[in-house]
Amino acid sequence: MERDLLRQSVSYHGENLMLLLKCEQSENPDFKRVAADLSKTPNQRDKEEGSPVLEQFIARKADLLFAPSWKTSTPADERQEESGEAHAVMPPLEQFMEVCFEERRELFYRDVERGDLVIGRINSVRDFGLFVTLLCTAGGLERNIEDLEIKALCPLRCVPSTGNHDDPLSYYQIGDLLRAGVKGIDRYHEKLTLSLYSSSLPPHLDKVKLGVISKEDLPLHYSRGEKVTADSSQTYEKLLESSLGLSNPLNVDYLLGKLGISDTQTPSLMRGLQSKHFKEDDFATAIRKKQSVSWALKCVKVGVGHFKSRRYVEAMNEYNKALEIDTNNVEALVARGALYATKGSLMKAIEDFELALENCPTHRNAKKYLCQTLVERGGQLEEEEKLVTAEGLYKRAILLDNTFQGAAEALAKLQLRIQKSLELKEQEAAKEQEKTKTVETSAEKLRKILKEEKRMKKKRKRSTSSSTSSDTSSTSSDDDSSTSRKKSKKRKHKRRRSSHGSKKHKRRASSCSDKMADDDIEWFPAPANTSASYIDQKQSISKLISEGEQSWEKSRCEDGRGRLDDAIDRSLENLKHGAQSETSRPGRPNVNGEVRDQHRTQSISECARNRRDSSSSTQSEYSQKSDRYSKEFSSQGRDRSESERDDGRKSSGGSLKKDIPSNLLDIFSQIAEFEKEKKLQK
Amino acid sequence: MSRQASASGSVNEARGRRSAQDVEDSKTHFRVCRFIIEAGVKLGMRSVPMATACVLYHRFFQSASLQVYEPYLVAMSAIYLAGKVEEQHLRTRDIINVCHRYFHPESEPMELDGKFWELRDSIVQCELLVLRQLNFQVSFEHPHKYVLHYLLSVRSLLNRHAWSRTPIAETALAVLKDSYHGSVCVRHKPQHLALTSLYLALQTYGVQLPRGELEWWQVVCADITKAQIETIMSELLQLYDMEAKCT
Repeated sequence: MERDLLRQSVSYHGENLMLLLKCEQSENPDFKRVAADLSKTPNQRDKEEGSPVLEQFIARKADLLFAPSWKTSTPADERQEESGEAHAVMPPLEQFMEVCFEERRELFYRDVERGDLVIGRINSVRDFGLFVTLLCTAGGLERNIEDLEIKALCPLRCVPSTGNHDDPLSYYQIGDLLRAGVKGIDRYHEKLTLSLYSSSLPPHLDKVKLGVISKEDLPLHYSRGEKVTADSSQTYEKLLESSLGLSNPLNVDYLLGKLGISDTQTPSLMRGLQSKHFKEDDFATAIRKKQSVSWALKCVKVGVGHFKSRRYVEAMNEYNKALEIDTNNVEALVARGALYATKGSLMKAIEDFELALENCPTHRNAKKYLCQTLVERGGQLEEEEKLVTAEGLYKRAILLDNTFQGAAEALAKLQLRIQKSLELKEQEAAKEQEKTKTVETSAEKLRKILKEEKRMKKKRKRSTSSSTSSDTSSTSSDDDSSTSRKKSKKRKHKRRRSSHGSKKHKRRASSCSDKMADDDIEWFPAPANTSASYIDQKQSISKLISEGEQSWEKSRCEDGRGRLDDAIDRSLENLKHGAQSETSRPGRPNVNGEVRDQHRTQSISECARNRRDSSSSTQSEYSQKSDRYSKEFSSQGRDRSESERDDGRKSSGGSLKKDIPSNLLDIFSQIAEFEKEKKLQK
Repeated sequence: MSRQASASGSVNEARGRRSAQDVEDSKTHFRVCRFIIEAGVKLGMRSVPMATACVLYHRFFQSASLQVYEPYLVAMSAIYLAGKVEEQHLRTRDIINVCHRYFHPESEPMELDGKFWELRDSIVQCELLVLRQLNFQVSFEHPHKYVLHYLLSVRSLLNRHAWSRTPIAETALAVLKDSYHGSVCVRHKPQHLALTSLYLALQTYGVQLPRGELEWWQVVCADITKAQIETIMSELLQLYDMEAKCT
């Protein structure tokens, strides 16, 4: 029993209470210990206000009221009030009660503690600190102190320096509102020392901003208090009723939380309602759980009945019902698992059994069924040639129940089988390597031929391009003499760029083809059952694409939008030609190849188009191009300067010998050679 | 209960019978309210819905007769309805389970049979009856929010250490909770009830508050007198005596 509390109570009520206590609590051992001290306490109260009923009540319930465990609330740290009233914030009661000046002052100095927040107005700035007249309390205490005119000092060392001011005090002016923490109290001399450092505050308040504040930051209880002093008709009641926080439906929960009292376990002074009389089993949740289990079991029994009579659908319904009533009910899961296993959905059965075993690891049936199902599943997997997974399952089954014969036997059989299959595999692998070598040789032959083709083509290109460059250089010198300087310079720049670009292109082309060569080696060996014609097609298509890319790359270095379109045209042309030429080949695969080509051409053109947002049709481009070509061929000499601007056409423009661009020529030659090869093979 | 107007002795007798009946009734009410509060605790009800349930019960029997309606059924319906009104919805299955076990301790939970469904139907029907009897006015102001606000205000008057060692809040709330055993909760304003329970708690521990022009309770409730406080207090304390008689 709390001795101090009892003493306080007894001294308040007097002798009467003491007697009653002795009478009522005579059996209480805690009381006996305390009683000796109590009898010495003086009586502080006037007798006329004695309330026997109350005293009787106190005496009877003393064992509850003064028990140390009665106080359940924890002294919660006062958080700063959030915006939005969870409850009604009222001005200090002192104000309404009109407690006298002296008493308020006395009480303030008695109750103020270090770490409390106060707000005051600066009334003088000295060189050793600030003098502040307190306006109101802001945390820790809620008192009406404005008219008390309490003066406090904030010494210089407790004022943090603000920014660039050399003298921290120069930041503060008379009349500023200041929020500070109480650093030191001299209760006897009634002196207060303040500090503007957060370190003077307790940890839960260290987010509060100290220093100069504005009127809006004044605490709500103070501003409400001001309203009350201004308007004397505002009583406590009226203020409370009109405040928003009172109508908050959750204010009870909030305030109970603030005071630290649990809402579902509120204390009671009735004997029958003491918490020790409540059994855990009587609570709603506990009963519900037990009930769910029994209801679910009933459903399961009915379901098992159905299962035995082979009514599987009804049985499944009953099991699902049972699981709805009580999820993770062990019996229901085991029964459902058995049903799944019988129907053949072994994976679902395994899931159910595992869940059941999670909830109840000692369930015998679950273990048994799980073993059986695992073995069965293992058998299934064996047939599907997934031997390793099957092995894993058998091992699990053995782990679960090492007396299960079937599992051990199956595992032994399986392991033998694995060994055999491994041996077989090795043999096959050896055979395959031989095969692939032979297969490789034919494919490799083709590739070698293609490589040679490429090299030839490159050589031809180099020769042509070098000739064109030499031509252009010669023509450039001619032009210099004939035309103005500016133009020629421009042309020179462009030519230089173009020639430079062409060299780059050459390099790129060569690198591209080199890559192609590398790719040849890195390709996987062709599978045994594919025809060689497929390989032909693939390689030719890839070649064409690479060529298209080359021309495209060349044109990318050019200026002007139209050039790229031309490049697209060219690549399209190439591929189309390639596709068209390949149609000459007989047989079904060609059709497929063509389709594939076209798809590829379309995809490339689409990419290019998307990049440039060109919407003109291929046909129109092609026709335009052909016109241009014809123009070129007709006026080669005069238009050479123009044509020289187009790098991609340089090779074509420069080559007076050819009627068609060199790319196309190359392709035609390649195709001819493929056909020759094929004929040879066939 | 017929009245024999001729013989005064028999009038007195009748009155005696009536008052005896009243006493019996109030004992029944006490027991049923105890049932409500216990069930509320086991169902995890918060204090405000529990208060609503008790108030519904008391108000119902202010106008209805115990002879006609089964009080425990009304209580169960009151719990169910209060859960809906105060937004702490309770399932009828849980209410039935808890009540069944209250009357048959240590028994197995009820089976999902005809009896269960009948009981459930009864609760739902009775709920409608309670609503009609109360003219569908089922929203009440409870003293809880007032007592909590008053506690905060009073706390500001006290030294923080005194506050932290004196269980004023617990006692006040306990007294308030216990007040629902009787009809005192419906015969007084919630503010007055709140005030009285706080007053009682402060008196119990002999806490002395500063005095001004007005007493703290005069400030908090302008229209209450000391006598009224005393009356309510005595009614509250009587309930504790009744516990001894009823249980």
